[in-house]
Amino acid sequence: MITLETVSKAIYQTIKKCTCCIPDDLSAAFDDAIQRENSELGKMALQKTQANFRFAKQNDYLACSDTGWPLFYYAIGDKVQLEGGLSGLEEISRKMVAQATKDGFMRATVKHPITGSDPGNNIGSNVPNFTYKHVPGESIQVTFVSKGGGSECFGGTRYQVIAFADGVHGIEKFIIDSYIEGARGGKICPPSIIGIGIGGTADISAKLAKQAAALRLVNSKHPEPEIAELEDRLYQAINMLGIGGGLGGRVSVLGVNIEYAYLHIGGIAVSMCASCVATRRATSIIHADNVVEEKASPTWFNGR
Amino acid sequence: MSEYHFKVPLKDEDIKRLRIGDMVYFSGEAWTSRSRVQKAVFDEGWKLPFPIEERNLLIHTGPVIKEENGEMKIISFAPTTSVRFEKWGPRSVREWHLKAIVGKATMGEKTRLAMKEHVCIHASPIGLTTNLFLDKLTIKNVYWKKEFGSIESAWIISLEDYGPLIVDIDCYGNNYFDEIEGVIQNNKKAAYQYLNIPDDFQYTRLS
Repeated sequence: MITLETVSKAIYQTIKKCTCCIPDDLSAAFDDAIQRENSELGKMALQKTQANFRFAKQNDYLACSDTGWPLFYYAIGDKVQLEGGLSGLEEISRKMVAQATKDGFMRATVKHPITGSDPGNNIGSNVPNFTYKHVPGESIQVTFVSKGGGSECFGGTRYQVIAFADGVHGIEKFIIDSYIEGARGGKICPPSIIGIGIGGTADISAKLAKQAAALRLVNSKHPEPEIAELEDRLYQAINMLGIGGGLGGRVSVLGVNIEYAYLHIGGIAVSMCASCVATRRATSIIHADNVVEEKASPTWFNGR
Repeated sequence: MSEYHFKVPLKDEDIKRLRIGDMVYFSGEAWTSRSRVQKAVFDEGWKLPFPIEERNLLIHTGPVIKEENGEMKIISFAPTTSVRFEKWGPRSVREWHLKAIVGKATMGEKTRLAMKEHVCIHASPIGLTTNLFLDKLTIKNVYWKKEFGSIESAWIISLEDYGPLIVDIDCYGNNYFDEIEGVIQNNKKAAYQYLNIPDDFQYTRLS
């Protein structure tokens, strides 16, 4: 049985790792971007950002002040036994978010949408937010995403319904235009990772876009060649725009990740979600024997 | 592109030397605000509870503060997107007699014009520098913490050669991002071409 003590500690450590340590795949993408960037200001911005991330990792400081929306993605084994029952998982998660906020590993960022009252601990109605998957096995996989506010408020999630008559060109134009609009003046903190959700209902496409941006590794490819080709074409096209880190430059986007759902014959729902330059996620598996293991990737989408 | 090091209170002659693209460093006392302070003052009639005559540098930010043994320490500091404060931009420049706003990226047309009229600039960090300048920042005081919460309070912060920041709106009416925008719009045509999107492409109107 997984004990409350184990799960609490594992969730807390995952939150702390998420907000302080940029994932290894993003760090490698950064090193590569610094090599490729040919604008002097753009290179300087990337180098300073990388130095900032290194300091944060080495000293347990925040990678970015804005620890954004606290989002939990749980993959729950169908034979999991958790002390007190699985229904307690959200309460434990909320407590750990409050504790991490108190300890300075999250900024108290969320507030009431109408009254503006600040709970001071990032806990409120529908915050933090939870998404679940059921998987075989006896373990709990916890992924914590600290989704930056700039990339969420200004860049995404953007949504449009495109007529079949407008097809792939319509999708591509929507993405290019949305990214330019969102990145204007550096609002979404580029170079970002873009998630694109194609098909489904409005909420399905938006959910796929966010998960593609926040949960897939920056250099991952969709296994279907038509989708992978579209990812690559958009990656190349956006990197022609000269946005850079906002001040201009060659590296405007670090990755383009597409996920899709089958759609209704009425039209194509498309969503774009940007994940900022400080894309943060951390994953741990809590095994039945109370051993906790860190993972480099949530492998949320069938291995990617 | 030139580099300047200025002390608060900033003088008109300092600000007039700056052009978009220049690097600037600031020393002296500045104060912070996000939406809540601006809304309180400009929409709800609250009076700022501290003097600002000698503190004509405003930073748009919500710092992360840790209190240890009764001492407050900044543990994360990043100027935030300024355009969201555009509604109050012209009044903050005029009525708070600001000579510089440090934020992120740009502000809107009305603030750009107010900055031209009242000799003020906007400057932003280069890249994400949350942790890089912590040794240059000391907390002096905080106001409205109880009322608005830590992030939305007005913090008085002493700066020691805080920078480099890039001037993105100068006091001559220039906006660095307008120039970048021109380049991007031009490149957009090349991106469309790469994707084989026809020049005359128009969305089917669904509404």
